[in-house]
Amino acid sequence: MIQLVLSILFGAGLLFSLYVLARKGAKAEGGAQALIDARQALSALKNDLLPQEVVARIFARDDLDYVLSAAPDDVVRLFMQQRKRIALSWVDRVRSQLIRLKRFHLGRSRSYAHLRPKEEIALTMDFATLLFACRVLRILVFLRGPYAAPQMIGATVGIVEKICGVSEKSLAFLDATNAASFDGRSAGSVAGV
Amino acid sequence: MLPPLTAAQPAAWREYNEVSSGFESNQIGVRRASEEFRSRTLSKIPRLLDRLIYLASMRDYNTGLYYHDGLAAQFSADIACETLAACHRGVFRQLLLCPLQEIVDQLEGYIRSTSTTPADFISLWSGIEPYRVTVPVSTDPLAADLFFSNLKVALAIVEARQPSSPRVGAESDASPQPSPAR
Repeated sequence: MIQLVLSILFGAGLLFSLYVLARKGAKAEGGAQALIDARQALSALKNDLLPQEVVARIFARDDLDYVLSAAPDDVVRLFMQQRKRIALSWVDRVRSQLIRLKRFHLGRSRSYAHLRPKEEIALTMDFATLLFACRVLRILVFLRGPYAAPQMIGATVGIVEKICGVSEKSLAFLDATNAASFDGRSAGSVAGV
Repeated sequence: MLPPLTAAQPAAWREYNEVSSGFESNQIGVRRASEEFRSRTLSKIPRLLDRLIYLASMRDYNTGLYYHDGLAAQFSADIACETLAACHRGVFRQLLLCPLQEIVDQLEGYIRSTSTTPADFISLWSGIEPYRVTVPVSTDPLAADLFFSNLKVALAIVEARQPSSPRVGAESDASPQPSPAR
């Protein structure tokens, strides 16, 4: 009887080990996808959505002043419609890229970057604040137009940039510069051999 | 600068150096071709909008590749293509970041430089929106959208300045309610 129980326990242990191994494999694959996702989100934010000049142009007050002074009412309405649409699209895209980055940070980043618990908590708070800010910003732009909350836009861009900095640190090992230094080390070791 | 190759180096390492040096010489070629193209051709075109339309016209619609016989003869077809693509991206970026007033000025200048009447031009551009093909490949959708939107509003402003003409873009898009901005 005791032998039977031991055999069952041993079999269960083997099955559990197999399950853990299978999960590890799936994680590695999913991890690569998470890295690609995070890298793409970071690139979209840094190159397309956050540059100061792009944000300034989307929410440019001088364009509104010009249209108000130089165009009839129907053109002003057209301008406001267009800018509102683009401002909403900007907020939506920033939010969706943030969600991609958040997924990476909550799920994978601790495997790649040694963030301290304090940093992780701060990052989680930043994500929560930003996603909430994006919701509020969307409502404000939708109800009151693209010029409703210029300070909030500035503050949002500031926090997103901060998050991008942390994300970049987490993804730094993928950079070409690191790869180059790795190549340099390999070359040196080859020469040494 | 890459170190000279020696016979003692492994074949893969030599191959890597050859590829790298090919890439470097290509980059140098593109830089030289860009300088030449900017000074000889682009600088002669007065407005950014004209430059954008010119550069877009050098691109094959089907392949997205750029062709320029002069540059290809002097450098190579690949370098010519890369040079034109880089210039196209640069000009688009400059135009994207222009204030609306400047875009209106550029559009008016461009209309004056064509042989069509402003009314015909505005009707065509508002109708089939040919400016949509002037955007470089792989432009961010938001940037392209902002550019199209600016041109649409600029067209409406230019149209409003024409003596007694119906405003195509503005009337189709705007509701008759009073402006919240005023």
